[in-house]
Amino acid sequence: ASTFGAVLDMVTDRVSTACLLALLSQFYRPGLVFILLLGLDITSHWFQMYSSFLSGKTSHKDVKHTGNGLLKLYYGYRPFMAFCCVASEVLYIILFLYADAKSTSLLNTCRGILKESPLVVFMFISTLIGWALKQVINVIQMKTAADACVAYDSKRGK
Amino acid sequence: MAQPPAKKTLSVYLYIPNIIGYFRIIINFIAFAECYTNRTLFAILYFFSFFCDGLDGWFARRFNQASTFGAVLDMVTDRVSTACLLALLSQFYSRPGLVFILLLGLDITSHWFQMYSSFLSGKTSHKDVKHTGNGLLKLYYGYRPFMAFCCVASEVLYIILFLYADAKSTSLLNTCRGILKESPLVVFMFISTLIGWALKQVINVIQMKTAADACVAYDSKRGK
Repeated sequence: ASTFGAVLDMVTDRVSTACLLALLSQFYRPGLVFILLLGLDITSHWFQMYSSFLSGKTSHKDVKHTGNGLLKLYYGYRPFMAFCCVASEVLYIILFLYADAKSTSLLNTCRGILKESPLVVFMFISTLIGWALKQVINVIQMKTAADACVAYDSKRGK
Repeated sequence: MAQPPAKKTLSVYLYIPNIIGYFRIIINFIAFAECYTNRTLFAILYFFSFFCDGLDGWFARRFNQASTFGAVLDMVTDRVSTACLLALLSQFYSRPGLVFILLLGLDITSHWFQMYSSFLSGKTSHKDVKHTGNGLLKLYYGYRPFMAFCCVASEVLYIILFLYADAKSTSLLNTCRGILKESPLVVFMFISTLIGWALKQVINVIQMKTAADACVAYDSKRGK
């Protein structure tokens, strides 16, 4: 295990997700949806990493003392974290694969997916749920991480 | 013994530079909401937000309201607005398709690595790089006007490409040729921003390498 490896890992995740979202913003209208998700992903992970650093942890996944129930579940029960992260990426890939040059409407594509076989519909709905949870967690994480930055300054006596 | 009343301090979230930071984010939101329908408005708002970026630093020093939260907010706003602009450009210019997506990746990667290694060496801003062997990096971090030129040039170049994007032609090369046929002032701006942008990308790459080296050095110092 190395620090360089950990950063390389994190950066590869962030950049590949950002690039996939940028790609999806090309295929779909409204493209802004995916650009917003890109912003949220970078913002929440950047803040979280920064606040982890301030509290002396090496991985943003080591969050022990957190008050929020959903965050506790996310960081305490790894299968839940894995489900949310994998679901997000799978949902983006599903949307990528089903993108149609003829129709750039995200809503139309989703309607189309819901008319597919039960297996596809099941996958789509479950990834949608996991993705939604991940985005909620991203937002909560931003707030708790921002609070940690503020707390860090007061502890330093600013 | 009577306790003195607790001193009421202003919440960091309400510091003036941080409020400017929120304002920057709102301006960016509005800009991106209008980016398809009103490109000139987008350019104006984007630059206004860019201008506020310098403003909040001035306010932080003037009112002694520098904060860690503010510094991170600043950095994140810069990264996300550049990333979103590059994502937008990747929509307009599909040939070559991956150029802007690659630049997006380079921007995030180099800044993330640089910030991480700054942390490991105990610095608070990725702009405080003192001990660096590379000449170009020394100039970049030592002479602020040079850093400002490269950063501003990059953003201006992206805005120029955004404004000149044509629905009929999605080729980046064609648009550049078109720009070079414009008035001398436009050509001058285009060439100078191109130079500044190129320098910034080279610096991004060098920064990634030195920051990665710093991560490795950190592990050896810790005896891993």
